[in-house]
Amino acid sequence: MSETGIGKILFSEEDIQRRVAEMGRQISADYQDKYPVIVSILKGSLYFVADLTRQLTIPLNIDFLSIGVYPGVTSKTGIVRITKDLDISVTGRHVLMVEDVIGTGLTLGYICQHLESSRPASLKICTLLDNPADRLLSISVDYCGFTQPDVFIIGYGMDYQEEYRNLPYIAELVGDPLKR
Amino acid sequence: MFFITVSRQTGSHGYEITRLLSERLGLEVITHDLVRNTWLPEVANSHELRMLAESPSFYLNEFGTGINFAEYIKARLTEVVEKQSVIILGLGAQLIFADHPNALHVRIIASDAVRISRILQVHRLEKQDAERFLELSDRKHKRYINTLYGKDWSDPGLYHITLNTDNLGIDEAVSLLAYIAGTKKAAIAHPVRQDDIAETKPRSFKHSSEEEFSKILDMYNIAWEYEPRTFPIEWDAEGSLTKAFTPDFYLPYFDTYIEITTMEQKYVTEKKKKVRLLKELYPGTNINIVFKNDFHALLKRFRPREGAEGE
Repeated sequence: MSETGIGKILFSEEDIQRRVAEMGRQISADYQDKYPVIVSILKGSLYFVADLTRQLTIPLNIDFLSIGVYPGVTSKTGIVRITKDLDISVTGRHVLMVEDVIGTGLTLGYICQHLESSRPASLKICTLLDNPADRLLSISVDYCGFTQPDVFIIGYGMDYQEEYRNLPYIAELVGDPLKR
Repeated sequence: MFFITVSRQTGSHGYEITRLLSERLGLEVITHDLVRNTWLPEVANSHELRMLAESPSFYLNEFGTGINFAEYIKARLTEVVEKQSVIILGLGAQLIFADHPNALHVRIIASDAVRISRILQVHRLEKQDAERFLELSDRKHKRYINTLYGKDWSDPGLYHITLNTDNLGIDEAVSLLAYIAGTKKAAIAHPVRQDDIAETKPRSFKHSSEEEFSKILDMYNIAWEYEPRTFPIEWDAEGSLTKAFTPDFYLPYFDTYIEITTMEQKYVTEKKKKVRLLKELYPGTNINIVFKNDFHALLKRFRPREGAEGE
């Protein structure tokens, strides 16, 4: 395996904070008097949700949801399961789901199905990075920070093999594992 | 609620494993002692209690309310597992709840030689007494199950998993069972809708890539239909159909068609044209193409890593 490392910075700390503040203003306006539940999808959205929610000027709840892939009994592909479910009931609540990046939408689709089974009053999607060119499922994204460049990205919560999450900026990974 | 039944041979460390597993998982253990000392005295007099201790067939005797003691225990256990997650040690629970979807049936065994050596250590018996002790204990368990349920206690088909503790430590067994219990519990909380998937699965796919893609959709519990609709897209001057397009998959929950194409570029151009025509003729139809490179990237990305994030 060739070595990986931090490549070109794609979105600086300042770029991110500026855009997150803009998104925060928009979401605060849209959710006035709605007392939303902000659902962060672990682990990638960790820093994004922390910064975003501190820009929100409305009362809200925060909860976390995590999914994992377990080996399947009948399939080599495995099965996606919820590994950490919500602690707060979202039935009848306005839910804003916060993702780090949306690509094919398969993960998002799985989570949407799960959350919608709880019958929230509304369910909207907020992502820091969106890659609509990769999208397979027709799911509309309500709030998007940036369009993702077509490279493997790290930093600001996003990892490669659990490394680089704590970078304050978003960078390209040198030695893109998907292109090898 | 999720629950575990444990059937164990005497000297198999089954009791110790159950106790530690209950501590690890925070689950109460329902034991024969609890039933004998608490549940049965609520419906049985002292004579009946003595008979129940001596003869399994007495469990089939009816008491005041018209049900027998075995049915009474079953009703009480059913009440418990509906309300809380527990571990049931013995009591024929593997048969009472044989097909219960929330049950994990465990059997813990060891070879006779190992069990005798453990009995010798714990009870400080002579070897022949230890052998006799085990023989009687096994016979008693076997007779209880056979009398009440007409089944062979040692039939491995009654259990999801059988642990042989000859060379498996107590901690190892507890960790193993805790892991299986966690997986089973997660599966109960978020079941894969196998019926939905089975209904829509075709007998065969035209291309192996389509089958691979169907597995990725299954992985995400996303319902799909294979080639459910053909769209006419071109007609000749006389109005006869000359070209039609049948997308590979339809995802009803997301109202999206997916076309997989792992072919060479010259065919890709034709596919793109078909998709463009489809969108023009059937506005509002959501369709996405998965190209060769995207498909291989998908396969690579979704190769499973235990406990890994999905995307």
